[in-house]
Amino acid sequence: MFELATKIVINGLTSSLVYILMALGFTLIFGIMRVINFAHGELYMIASFLVFALAGSLGWNYYLAVLVAAVAVGLFGALLERVLFRPFVGRELNGMIMALAISISLQASAFILFGTDEHSVPRPISGVLQFGGVIVPRDRLAVGLMAVVVLAGFYVFMRYTKAGLAMRAVVQDQDIASIYGVRPKIIHPLAFGLGAMLAGFAGALMAPIYTVYPYMGSQPMLKAFIVVILGGLGSVPGAVLGGVVLGLTESVFATLINTTVATMVSFVIVVVILLVKPTGLMGRSTR
Amino acid sequence: MKSMSMKRTLIAVLSAIGLAWTANAAAQTETLKIGVVSALSGPGSEWGLAQDGAIKIAAMEANAKGGLKVGGKTYKVEVISYDDQYKAALAVSSATRLIEQDKVKFIVGPMGSAATLAVKPLLEQNKVVAIIGAYSEKALDANTKYSYRGFPTQVEFVGPIVQWLKKNKPDLKSVAQIDPNDETGWFSQKLLKEQYQGAGYKVVSSELFERSVKDFQPVLTRIIATKPDIIELGTTPPGTAGLVIRQARELGFKGQFVKIGGPGVPQIVAAAGKEFAEGLICYAAADATTPSYKGLETQYAKVLKPPMNEFTVYFYDVARMLLDAIQTAGTVDDTEKVRAALDKATPYKGIQGPIRWGGMKAYGVNHQILTPTFIGMIKNGEQVIIGQME
Repeated sequence: MFELATKIVINGLTSSLVYILMALGFTLIFGIMRVINFAHGELYMIASFLVFALAGSLGWNYYLAVLVAAVAVGLFGALLERVLFRPFVGRELNGMIMALAISISLQASAFILFGTDEHSVPRPISGVLQFGGVIVPRDRLAVGLMAVVVLAGFYVFMRYTKAGLAMRAVVQDQDIASIYGVRPKIIHPLAFGLGAMLAGFAGALMAPIYTVYPYMGSQPMLKAFIVVILGGLGSVPGAVLGGVVLGLTESVFATLINTTVATMVSFVIVVVILLVKPTGLMGRSTR
Repeated sequence: MKSMSMKRTLIAVLSAIGLAWTANAAAQTETLKIGVVSALSGPGSEWGLAQDGAIKIAAMEANAKGGLKVGGKTYKVEVISYDDQYKAALAVSSATRLIEQDKVKFIVGPMGSAATLAVKPLLEQNKVVAIIGAYSEKALDANTKYSYRGFPTQVEFVGPIVQWLKKNKPDLKSVAQIDPNDETGWFSQKLLKEQYQGAGYKVVSSELFERSVKDFQPVLTRIIATKPDIIELGTTPPGTAGLVIRQARELGFKGQFVKIGGPGVPQIVAAAGKEFAEGLICYAAADATTPSYKGLETQYAKVLKPPMNEFTVYFYDVARMLLDAIQTAGTVDDTEKVRAALDKATPYKGIQGPIRWGGMKAYGVNHQILTPTFIGMIKNGEQVIIGQME
């Protein structure tokens, strides 16, 4: 019984960490630019493919590939902001549609380039850890630990650097922030790039765990969406809380009943939260 | 004035010549359009591309001979393919487009029971001869006139494989099943459960998973708790099956994996890793070491990107049967005549051996292709044939 509970909690938390990575990037982009980035799942997918190409086909060191992939996706995100999203600043609907268009184009490009096959990335760590009766795959644990490192870095950045401070100011109130000299032209690409890089880390870390294929971004995108609705659009602590709630809930129901029920329950939770507290667990209502 | 009318005359003459030219050209070679609606992307696309590739190879070969000669005219065979991503709704819209806009009378596809059952009424109503790929027994019944199943289903091959297991691995006694949660998976689980139980095995769990799931730890934790000797992967698509195998091994499962369902050893090995996939016993559609198989692989590489899935062998044979039936019937429009010719086309010389229609007893209509099938085992990342069934 204790073993099962431990297994459920560990499973749930390792999923949560990946969800949090995805959700944080998503919520940052929304908080700063008011853009609902439907292409977030594809940023995850691109990072996975980069790791597949670098560590898989070219034989690079896996951790180097992860770093390069995440940074590359971050830069790509900043580029997207500059070229495709900047014309739509302030217009949420247009930004959303542009993101949707980018998502479809990226999926199709990946399909044209790589075909429909599910590719495997060589695993840097394999084997399992055994504590008593509880078996934990090492690779998933490693992903969890690396995710914690990335999130810690993100926290330090947001809390202790000038740029992080500026971003938090913009999330709270864009107009007042600009009075204080925060320039959107710098903050927007920085925010999009940072958000994209978080998605990139998620994709790069998860590449060896399952398989890599063009449509792999839709599920993480959906999870990010649910987490952000749960935690509150634009709220960073909300994204963390939402991620933990979703990951643990899914794990409990999936192990004890089945995955279909787990998915259903996660959506039911979203509906309940939206009815009871529409801004999410930790969101604030916008004026 | 004069230059204007001269200009007009010139245009009129040139147009007349142009029209006559194109009309002449068109009259010399007409086009026979064959439609494909199948899973060309996403999980399950290994099998969908087998259908697509098969008819494309048959078309390519017919065109290389100068075209298909039917009833005094020569036809260039053109394949129009639409991707339904293994989803019923997309299959219906694609089939509708093929029938109403592209005006095809012959379709290869769909692949997958959900898609096939959704599309079949449309096909029967429009008298479209179809070569379907669906494991569900509901796909063929006594009222089926125009649909033909292009591959043997678990009904045809599960019995011999279970018997082989019983004879050669007698210390395995209990089975856990895992299949996708849709029509294909439901049918497969029900049938395999009956067969295993009939042979004396104990079925200790039967799990279904949503096709989008990649994390099988919860499901496998439950399955492994029931202590099965065998995990039967059924109709799980190959890439996903590989993930199941890997995650099960990582959770400590040391038993036997069996897959009596759609084949795809390369994808299974790629997703599971060579070490974990070792020893899997599976249904094999073809012996990949024969020259005729390798020849087909070469042809496949000319129409689609390799690797070729074993199912291509079945659909290639039946596609050729269809083209031959069109020739015998002498018409590309009258599907009644083509259907009658196709019914009589057996026994037919397939590339792995003789094939024929059957299935009257099981389904009520002789539209099921009966072919040689094989039992395979994964050794060192490759499929090795360990048995053959007729």
